[in-house]
Amino acid sequence: MNKLLLPILLLAATTGLLTGCADRLDMENASIPLTLGLDLGQDNEPVMYSTFPVFTKNSKKKTQETSARARTFRQSRAEQDAHSAGVFSGRNYQVFLIGKRMLEQENWFQMLDVIFRDSKNTVSDRVIVFDGPLADIIYLNPKDQPLLPILLRGMVDTKSGKSETVNTNLQELHRQLFESGMTPSISEVRLDAKKNIKLNGTALLNHQGKYVTSLDTSETVLLRILQNKVKKSASITLSMPGEPEQKPFHLDKISFATDQTRTETKTITSTHQGEFHFDIIIKMKISLFEVLFPYDIENKTPELEQLLSEEMQKQFEKLIKKIQQHAIDPVGLGLHARAFEYKEYKAVKNDWGKALSSADIRVQVKIKIDAMGPVK
Amino acid sequence: MKKYAYNEITLMQFICILSGVQLSVGLLALPQRLAQRAGTDGWIGLLLIWVFTVIANLIIVRVMSSYPQGTMMDLLTHYCGRWVGKIAAVLLALYFFLYGYVGITRTILYVKQWLLPQTSTFQIMLLLLIPTYTVARNGLRIVGRYAELVFFISLWIPFAYLLPLQDAQWLYLLPVLKEGWLPILSAAEIAFLSFSGIGITMVLYPFLLHKRQAFAGVAISNTVSMLVFLMISLICFVYFSPSEIKEYNEPVVNVLKNIEFKFIERIEVVFISFYLFMFSLSWIPTFHASAFCVSWMLGKPDHRNPLRVIWLILAAGTLLFMPSFTQNDMMGRWLSKIAFGFEDAIPVCLLIYLWTKKE
Repeated sequence: MNKLLLPILLLAATTGLLTGCADRLDMENASIPLTLGLDLGQDNEPVMYSTFPVFTKNSKKKTQETSARARTFRQSRAEQDAHSAGVFSGRNYQVFLIGKRMLEQENWFQMLDVIFRDSKNTVSDRVIVFDGPLADIIYLNPKDQPLLPILLRGMVDTKSGKSETVNTNLQELHRQLFESGMTPSISEVRLDAKKNIKLNGTALLNHQGKYVTSLDTSETVLLRILQNKVKKSASITLSMPGEPEQKPFHLDKISFATDQTRTETKTITSTHQGEFHFDIIIKMKISLFEVLFPYDIENKTPELEQLLSEEMQKQFEKLIKKIQQHAIDPVGLGLHARAFEYKEYKAVKNDWGKALSSADIRVQVKIKIDAMGPVK
Repeated sequence: MKKYAYNEITLMQFICILSGVQLSVGLLALPQRLAQRAGTDGWIGLLLIWVFTVIANLIIVRVMSSYPQGTMMDLLTHYCGRWVGKIAAVLLALYFFLYGYVGITRTILYVKQWLLPQTSTFQIMLLLLIPTYTVARNGLRIVGRYAELVFFISLWIPFAYLLPLQDAQWLYLLPVLKEGWLPILSAAEIAFLSFSGIGITMVLYPFLLHKRQAFAGVAISNTVSMLVFLMISLICFVYFSPSEIKEYNEPVVNVLKNIEFKFIERIEVVFISFYLFMFSLSWIPTFHASAFCVSWMLGKPDHRNPLRVIWLILAAGTLLFMPSFTQNDMMGRWLSKIAFGFEDAIPVCLLIYLWTKKE
């Protein structure tokens, strides 16, 4: 008898306790916002947007959008809650949209503290800047396209696979903002003339998270090569100098895909005023996809490789000049500077962008043609 | 005559208990603390403290081997008299209790922060104490088997930690020795708490099946702990940027937040729940040891009554007082100072004492 008593008591205690899961939230009572939006309103007050899918049969529209003015995210939650049938929770954000006007402020990132402090929130939401007032895209609801968050997330995921934009989520942005030797870069979308959502390329921010400039998709490919982040092949089209254009066609073009790129960066600091030198050597193996001008590829391969290398080099130099002009470092050269020239880096690390703008960066491209395709 | 027969533990169980006690609650915050002290060089501190701990642990085993049939208390009784043994039993019981208490309260704080923010600490404490009692009320062999089980079901965890490596930035680790050796020594000091807990050898030793294996056992268990600490710290160091890692309280959890599977999101929640098994090894063996010391002092063979008292103290105590994160940290710091006394200073003194006595 006595032997049975203890297990029974324990069992009773356990069953009594298990009812205590006060944190439970039933699916029926939850509203699941998939998009989180942040923009400046007309009176320069922050506005939070969110969109959530609606699972009711009766409603024709598949999503609900809410917006709320509040000084903080957490504060806006109560207001957003009032618009929806369920309890608002941040567990399932897919994309984080930010308006460009908001992005032009400094230190906007501090508003996102709740996302990192409240451990229930996701941090893998893709960060996307929208070029224009955020309300335009949130309330757009195009009939021929999937839900906005799904569309945007898919856009970022596939295009970043082709290196045409960056894949920065909130955690990655957090890392880039806290890194003194690098400045953040995020995806950028806008609406084209026919009000279709279009991926624009990449927005570059400075150390404070303020918008500085944008790169289009072809420049982003170059940036990703410099970062050594090209995983799948990226496609590049160049104009060959010296070939006639023959309007209305552009018959001077050559297109190829990178099969394999390897970027090596070397850092040297000269003792003279602690100036940095970077030697970036890019080795690319390419396969040709399109040659619009007549060229004897079979016999003159080394010449073509040479020409392409020179042309690519010019493109890289143009990009680097642009980066240096804006005193930012999206490539992450500062990481190399810290790793190999720590003492000099430490002296300038509080304003690395400025130090980089006076640095001497040399790019060397070595292209090797792997395949020319089935035609001569 | 064997005093502790029928409860012998194998070498594997010995290693699992010892590593389990070490690899527990300190783990989650470790990379951040190392980074606070020495940036990304903190991992060197781990290696230093590992060498130190192995030596300290070998000294304990050396001392214990001079009276292989008994625990530390039996040894002290044999060499220094009954009262010294009793005092040692009280002190060790308190030490193990404190060790387990810091572990269990830290676990409750983690559960509250990551899993059940609205459930009261008292309920969580009770939920944790029930399995604790069912495991610890049996002999050491059962505790050993439990530790072994936890070890085997946790084997997959390191593989999950390889996933964040695709976003790793190995350049963060360079240059090695950024600011010289001083910060590294300071990081080693912070790592000391993670490596403490080896004092449990003083109680485990007589139960070990083959005493000759004890030297190998402590070396292996400390190395296993070191490898896990090293791997986790390095992964966090290459994943987070050097100044970012200081922003997170538990980088070991945050590092998983970015992993996405088609079928599960917020994978870190699964991990925290699973870590409860590992964390439980920081208090189940220690509470068992604590109860054992008390029953030894009272001269009774059954350790279950002291265990029940500990159980009640913990359950009732949570109603009155539950440390916050900062208080728990502070207790951890005390603990590492006390651990230094119990696990390093006293064994060395004993070793010298035994040598002089022999001559």
